[in-house]
Amino acid sequence: MNIDNYTDAIKNCRFCFMCRHLSAIGNVLFTEADTPRVRAAMIYGITQHPEQLANRDFIDTLYRSDLSAACRYHCVSHFDENGLNIAARTDVVQAGFAPDYVKNIAAELKKSEKWTVKGSGDVLYFEDSYTAETKTVAKAFDKIMKKAKVPYQTVTGGCIGKALKILGFPTEAKAAAEKFAKVVKDSKAKILVVSNPAAYDALVHDYKEFGIKLSAKVMHTSEYLRTLKLKFKKAGELYYLESDFLKNYNDNCKFPRALLADLKAEIKPFGTNNEESYTCGEGAVVLPKICEGIVEKLAKYIEERADDPKKDLLVVASPYTKIFLTKYTKLNVKTLEELAAEHI
Amino acid sequence: MLVSKDSYMYEMIRTELTDIVGDDNVCTRDADKFGHSIDYYWIPEMWHDRGMETPKPDFIIHPGSAEEIAKVVKVANHYHIPVVPWGGGSGSQGGALPVYGGIIIDMKRMNKFKGIDREALTVTCQTGMIARHLEWRCNKEGYSTMHLPASIACATIGGFLAHRGTGVLSTKYGKIEDMVMSLEVVTPTGEIIRTLPVPRHASGPDLTMLFLGSEGTLGIITEVTLKVHPQPEAREFRAYIFKDFHTAMSAGAELMRSRLQPCAVRLYDEEETIHHVRKVFGMELDKGAYLVFGFDGRKDIVDCQMRYAREIMEKKFKGKDLGSKGGELWWENKYKFFYPPFMFHMPQAFGTLDTVATFSNIEKVYWAMKKVVNENFPQARFIGHFSHWYEWGCMLYARFIFEEEYVPKDPREAAALYNRVWDLAIRAAIANGGVINEHHGVGLKLGRLMKELYGPAMPVLEGIKKQLDPNNIMNPGKLGFKGV
Ligand SMILES: Cc1cc2nc3c(=O)[nH]c(=O)nc-3n(C[C@H](O)[C@H](O)[C@H](O)COP(=O)(O)OP(=O)(O)OC[C@H]3O[C@@H](n4cnc5c(N)ncnc54)[C@H](O)[C@@H]3O)c2cc1C
Ligand code: SF4
Repeated sequence: MNIDNYTDAIKNCRFCFMCRHLSAIGNVLFTEADTPRVRAAMIYGITQHPEQLANRDFIDTLYRSDLSAACRYHCVSHFDENGLNIAARTDVVQAGFAPDYVKNIAAELKKSEKWTVKGSGDVLYFEDSYTAETKTVAKAFDKIMKKAKVPYQTVTGGCIGKALKILGFPTEAKAAAEKFAKVVKDSKAKILVVSNPAAYDALVHDYKEFGIKLSAKVMHTSEYLRTLKLKFKKAGELYYLESDFLKNYNDNCKFPRALLADLKAEIKPFGTNNEESYTCGEGAVVLPKICEGIVEKLAKYIEERADDPKKDLLVVASPYTKIFLTKYTKLNVKTLEELAAEHI
Repeated sequence: MLVSKDSYMYEMIRTELTDIVGDDNVCTRDADKFGHSIDYYWIPEMWHDRGMETPKPDFIIHPGSAEEIAKVVKVANHYHIPVVPWGGGSGSQGGALPVYGGIIIDMKRMNKFKGIDREALTVTCQTGMIARHLEWRCNKEGYSTMHLPASIACATIGGFLAHRGTGVLSTKYGKIEDMVMSLEVVTPTGEIIRTLPVPRHASGPDLTMLFLGSEGTLGIITEVTLKVHPQPEAREFRAYIFKDFHTAMSAGAELMRSRLQPCAVRLYDEEETIHHVRKVFGMELDKGAYLVFGFDGRKDIVDCQMRYAREIMEKKFKGKDLGSKGGELWWENKYKFFYPPFMFHMPQAFGTLDTVATFSNIEKVYWAMKKVVNENFPQARFIGHFSHWYEWGCMLYARFIFEEEYVPKDPREAAALYNRVWDLAIRAAIANGGVINEHHGVGLKLGRLMKELYGPAMPVLEGIKKQLDPNNIMNPGKLGFKGV
């Protein structure tokens, strides 16, 4: 079983309470089940009683995890309960117990593996489906690129493997990744720029895991925009909400805050801490398709923590987070690209 | 529970409960029941480890107000169904386990922060708030509860009130019972009451204290007002190694008798110094007993306190100074001890035999417990540290550990061995002036020893229980009270 690769996490997390305060889902549903401890204990139970893998309540609990990795980042030994959860999902799928909602999402994702490339230049900008849904992020990127007079290509389309992987379909994820890698190669671009941190994480980590070597260097927009050495107007006071993928999955990568420093942003601390995931479930990628009600609760949880929900400017790295914060709250949310484009 | 899930009565009761708290707030999913069947008590963990079924609740309720809890409790009285409050489930005594099934009232939805009174320096919140969240909220406003236990991330304020919990700064700021101003409680018969608004008065016996430490057997604490403190200008630590545990204990006791008011004092016996402190700090330490203490407040006062404390440690007791670095290291790593793999964990068998006694008795208690564990269970290790200090004595955080090869595979035999250690060690503590527990509570684990501790006073406690909870629905079988 795939969970056998995570015996460390099973052994250590199953009776450990030390990161429960960071369970985003636990904090809005108030449940014990939605904590790393209980998920790991449940999975240990499956190793003892394999028939429990078919338990629908257990399966639903695995699939509604926020996968923010805030626990792994916080943990002094960084045990990977997140990876364990994905491995358990994979076991569920491989044993044929995937619920219909999971199968349907996977089928839709597979259908979305078509990409269209336009434009010319060494830079290829990936406008994934969440970025496209915002309608504003790619425009902001375009404004900056025009100002910088850098020609670029765009690639638009669906799942490049991340969502399939976290749903428990690694083989299908790898196949999607291979197809996307070919699209990138055919574009002859040297740099692949992405706005969506989930895509960034897929391209940097998952592709390596799949044994795929991309022909272009992968950069998050916040990293790439800095290379243009543009002069920005002062952005002023704002709150920056970290991305699960850029912070917890990528060792707190420095580019977003560095870009904000270039923008001379005065970053105020959001809420009460910088440990909780304030992303509406970004790490789970397709959580809205699994249980949109939870995403709404996560958004409201963030709104309640704003100092002045009507006035504050919240900047996010993730188009996903912008979409759901905008949908469910009255918060004023901008992505890094939008902020940069406004202050150029 | 008195009705089976297959009975239509189960649905009748579920309907009443959903009517009170709403459909979303009554859980009967297997995953949730499982989550509430194991807390931080070793026995249910071991039971699960051995592939055994753990007792589950029938319903898990997430109430949003004291009024809703009162209504649920009335339903439970009507049908004589056990009601067990659950905070974070981090209790180590099995207090929150639904051993007779019934209704778990999970308090975490009751997490409202109600504000800080800047004149009185108090904070009011609902008790389902996770302690870390409350502390962060207070910090944002420049204050601290100064309640900083190792389980701050996972335990609720209500859980600490119910177990009379304590944090690392207890030596100056007190245990949670010293921090409470007043409480709101739902009684076992469903009345909502408030204790007096101030903790010091001469207006009759102290009702607040009656509920503190009652472990959900006398009612459900729904709201609390606690003291808060401004963040101190300075907080400094210093550590010493003493040639042996006795010398270190004498130095610590002298520090407390000096009334210099340290915010924390912690002393590790020789064995724990070697095996645990060294491992967590990653630091070479001399043989001996490690003692660390700290002061906080105004910088000039902290400097002065530190100077006098150093004189006690160095001149009188000849401690080897590890400097402020040796002390700061402890403060920085204070929670690290509790994360895996630093914390003991399954398949080891382990337990925290915490107790408290006066300075005249504490060493006797330590040696008596150590002796009884070593003699009866030579396969076990016994280690101890002293973490919460008072003007008159201190708390012993003793632990026993059996490595995997010494723990029976059969869960019943493992439980029997485990209970034997507790019985012998706690009896040794009581015989030498100690008590059953200092800050983890009694729960299911130690209930059977309550009669021995209280003697003729136990019927007083039982009488209170009977009066408040005539149908014995509130957390039956815990704290030494009757089961179902
Ligand atoms: C790693 C770790 C470290 C720990 N360190 C410390 C420490 O430093 N200091 C310390 O004091 N403890 C410590 N503990 C023990 C534990 O955190 C405390 O006992 C805490 O008080 C339990 O709180 P909880 O919310 O998890 O309560 P639970 O375990 O859910 O419940 C404990 C008891 O309280 C009752 N209860 C819960 N909420 C209420 C309420 N609102 N009204 C009435 N009864 C209620 C329950 O019925 C039960 O009897 C530690 C535990 C762990 C896992
Ligand atoms: S990730 Fe670390 S802190 Fe969280 S449950 Fe696992 S071992 Fe504990």
